[in-house]
Amino acid sequence: MIEENLNNQDRFLKTVKEAIKASPGGYRKNREELFSRLSQSTIDSRLKKIQNRTRADQLKLLDLLMEQAEPINLRVMPVKNLQSASESIKELILDKNPEWGTVKKVAAWKHPLIDKLSLGDALAKYDIPVYQSELKSTDDLPAGKQMIREQIFESFVGITAADFCIAQTASLVMKSHPNQARAVSLVPSIHVAVIELNQIIENLGEFYFLQKWDPIQKKEGLTNCMTLISGPSKTGDIELIMVHGAHGPCELHLFVITGET
Amino acid sequence: MTTISTEHYKNKAKEAIKDDVLQSALAGLQNRLGPATAAMYKNLPEGDELRYKAHEVRMFALDNLDMLLEQLAQKIRQRGGNVFFARDQKEAVNYCLEITRRRKAKLAVKGKSMVSEEIGLNDALIKDGVKAVETDLGEYIVQLAGEHPSHIIAPAIHKTRNQIGSLFEEKLGISYTNDPPTLTKAARKHLRDAFLTADIGFSGCNLACAETGHITTLSNEGNIRLATTLPKVHVAIMGMERIVASLEDHDALFRLLSRGAAAQNLAGYVSYIGGPALDSEIDGPEEFHLVILDNGRSKILADEEFKEILCCIRCAACLNVCPVYGKIGGHSYGCTYTGPIGAVLTPLMTDIGQSKDLFQGESLCGACQDNCPVNINLPRMLLALRAKTAEGDPRWNIKPSSPVEKFIFSIWSKLISNRKAYDFFFRLARFGQKILPTKNGEIRKLPPPFSGWTLDRDMQQIASKSFIQKWKETQK
Amino acid sequence: MNRNKSVTLFIQCLVDQIYPEVGDAMVAVFQKLGISVNCPTEQTCCGQSAYNSGYKSVSKTAAKRFIEIFEKSEVIVCPSGSCVDMVRNHYPSLFRNEPDWHSRAENVGGKTYEFTEYLVDVLKVEDFGASFKEKLTYHDSCHLLRNIGVKDQPRKLISKVAGAELVEMGNSDKCCGFGGTFSIKYPQISTAILDEKLDNIMSSGATTVVGCDVGCLMNIQGRLSRKKLPIKTMHIAQLLVQ
Ligand code: SF4
Repeated sequence: MIEENLNNQDRFLKTVKEAIKASPGGYRKNREELFSRLSQSTIDSRLKKIQNRTRADQLKLLDLLMEQAEPINLRVMPVKNLQSASESIKELILDKNPEWGTVKKVAAWKHPLIDKLSLGDALAKYDIPVYQSELKSTDDLPAGKQMIREQIFESFVGITAADFCIAQTASLVMKSHPNQARAVSLVPSIHVAVIELNQIIENLGEFYFLQKWDPIQKKEGLTNCMTLISGPSKTGDIELIMVHGAHGPCELHLFVITGET
Repeated sequence: MTTISTEHYKNKAKEAIKDDVLQSALAGLQNRLGPATAAMYKNLPEGDELRYKAHEVRMFALDNLDMLLEQLAQKIRQRGGNVFFARDQKEAVNYCLEITRRRKAKLAVKGKSMVSEEIGLNDALIKDGVKAVETDLGEYIVQLAGEHPSHIIAPAIHKTRNQIGSLFEEKLGISYTNDPPTLTKAARKHLRDAFLTADIGFSGCNLACAETGHITTLSNEGNIRLATTLPKVHVAIMGMERIVASLEDHDALFRLLSRGAAAQNLAGYVSYIGGPALDSEIDGPEEFHLVILDNGRSKILADEEFKEILCCIRCAACLNVCPVYGKIGGHSYGCTYTGPIGAVLTPLMTDIGQSKDLFQGESLCGACQDNCPVNINLPRMLLALRAKTAEGDPRWNIKPSSPVEKFIFSIWSKLISNRKAYDFFFRLARFGQKILPTKNGEIRKLPPPFSGWTLDRDMQQIASKSFIQKWKETQK
Repeated sequence: MNRNKSVTLFIQCLVDQIYPEVGDAMVAVFQKLGISVNCPTEQTCCGQSAYNSGYKSVSKTAAKRFIEIFEKSEVIVCPSGSCVDMVRNHYPSLFRNEPDWHSRAENVGGKTYEFTEYLVDVLKVEDFGASFKEKLTYHDSCHLLRNIGVKDQPRKLISKVAGAELVEMGNSDKCCGFGGTFSIKYPQISTAILDEKLDNIMSSGATTVVGCDVGCLMNIQGRLSRKKLPIKTMHIAQLLVQ
């Protein structure tokens, strides 16, 4: 099949090429010049500007984030430290009721920041299990995946971290990583995300810039599946009336750890 | 395309205009979304410049399309994805069916995709024994009702909440309600099972990125994310023009697309998909296929006059301000793509002669271009299509369509070339109008070919002396 | 101050044959300013209706004739936005592949102005001492607004008319459904659009609709008359001589 597909491709692209020749526009480039480039000095200075943001700058971005989050129903809660994040999340879980069924279960990423919240311990006395999405190398992979999948389906709250948070559009960015099941931010009715203050960047342009020019991001790439999430799921398909919780989470709570003492 | 009935435009339009329910739905759409989008453009820090820039970015992509597609395909294959180039809808559908058969798929969930409408995927799947469930709420409603979408972004905009309430009562067995949140919740509940058990997920692609080798999907409901995350197989179908070169091109385009489509800063979910999930990942599809579709697009690309239409990012902003769409609704167009974009694209993708009503039945007001996030000159192309039918064009296999009209204009051409003849003609008309029924100096009924005017309107009589005649007299 | 100025009238065919009083009003306005007025009497139609119906060769014939008649003029002024759009924007594109005609078209297009645009932007006169004690509403004609960019000019002129109160209708910039031959070929669609315009006019509370293009005004008036609604239509030139 692959052979055949390649033949298809050649034939197809030849047609496209001929079409372009028949209606030449002004933008045709050589292969090497197809993608935008920046001078190293421009890259360095912009990277520096982003990386050298002061705490005051970051707090300003947090303000912007909160302002943008409000109209899209993304609830942003600044918390001083991990402990108060953990407290607040526990309260939230105790306070909310499951959408399907009556049993409260929680799914969480296996992630350093989330691990430090020790939610499992905090919720144990309420008999609320916190499932960590972690594949052990000793597991039978398909079976392990299936089990975690089912746990996530049963959970009413899903807890994740994020790679970035974009203030201007109030978006959480999540790349796909091992042990960080995509479904945690998607299937449970309530999505809780936790980030640190310095993960907030200004806008979409800055985000793309970092992906392209920051050596660390560049190396990682966009991964096989990267998602920008701006607010809970919503629809206006019935008479353009906005309803939250169409298919994805009905609520999205974002805890920002500001690191104040 | 699945069902084309563009020749019924006039009749369907008449019916639509008489349908009060539809009229109020369309008025709601146009009074709210159209102005909201315009207001958001105004608040862009870059102003209108951003729309012009986005247009350039799209034209750049078209001029380099072969290389961009090649790079996209290569990167996706490197990550273990499959890429198939389909020349037409048949090849695309067959490829999809090969996959569903091999995977013995019984249930498919679909994220909103106009291109899958274009190739008639649902019908093909159903015929092949695969249950294909639309998951976008609007599409789901339309599918339950056995209809087709009437709007690119808001597929069920022609239906009121009462109608949807009755539909859900009948099809989902819930008790009647017309409360949108309750109705949404009912659909959520019904579709949840489908998401959790589907064998395969289908999606479209909003705008791929060649540089990184990813397709993207945008949605607000989260249905596309579900459909492309939970099933073991994800098949994405994209029109070949839906790609940009560099990653940062998405900055302008996604901000504009989100504004044009739903008057928001950014769609709720933007996903970049570049291949199947890694083995080490817990979830995500184990198989990923990208189908890149031509289906008439290369022919448009080859035409200088029309290639600009391929800049379109299907946001539907032009529908939301078009006075014609606002009265006749999507179904009158009789095809997948409706409104101003459909009026240009459908004839080019199907048959210009057969669908000539689509581009002639427009008032050329220009509101579409003003509201288009990529500033596509739709009025120019409507005119160019009219020129094709008026004067014929072998490349598009079209002969001059109306000999009568052509004859009238050839006479008109002679008249306006000679003031004496022109004056003589109007003298005759001035004389002739005396026999027409009038009331208070207004003509009630004009003869053909002008009779359409007086169907619902009166016509001011020709003045007893033309301005030029009076002018001549005063100059003496 | 306008002693040495002169304008050449480009009279839209609808004004010429159906609404000559609009031309008269325009002449009166210029006379008031002391500007001398020319009017080539061999002019006919700019070819817009043929162009909009796709008959490029017919519109080319019209365009060439227009250019020959008008190219020696200093300034050309027309009481219709869509006709100016035709000359200024579409003539050059018609001759895309004929460099000689193209530059002649550009030359003519460059000195062709819509009436209110000329008064406000070039002559910089807004007050003509007119008085009209009524509530007025203004309809933005599509091509005038979108292709010529005229929006504020007529409003400025109206605001200087003594006694006149400008009340904006909802969606004043939405098409009235005229669209040239569209209104004849697709009358039901056209009327449906027009009725929305009428609704907006009615709810504004105005007694007169003012516009800058008699195409639209003829359309609106035709429907008002058929529905027996007591609202008048008026070209802006007529308002300025009240
Ligand atoms: S033509 Fe422009 S406004 Fe219309 S759907 Fe395409 S991108 Fe959107």
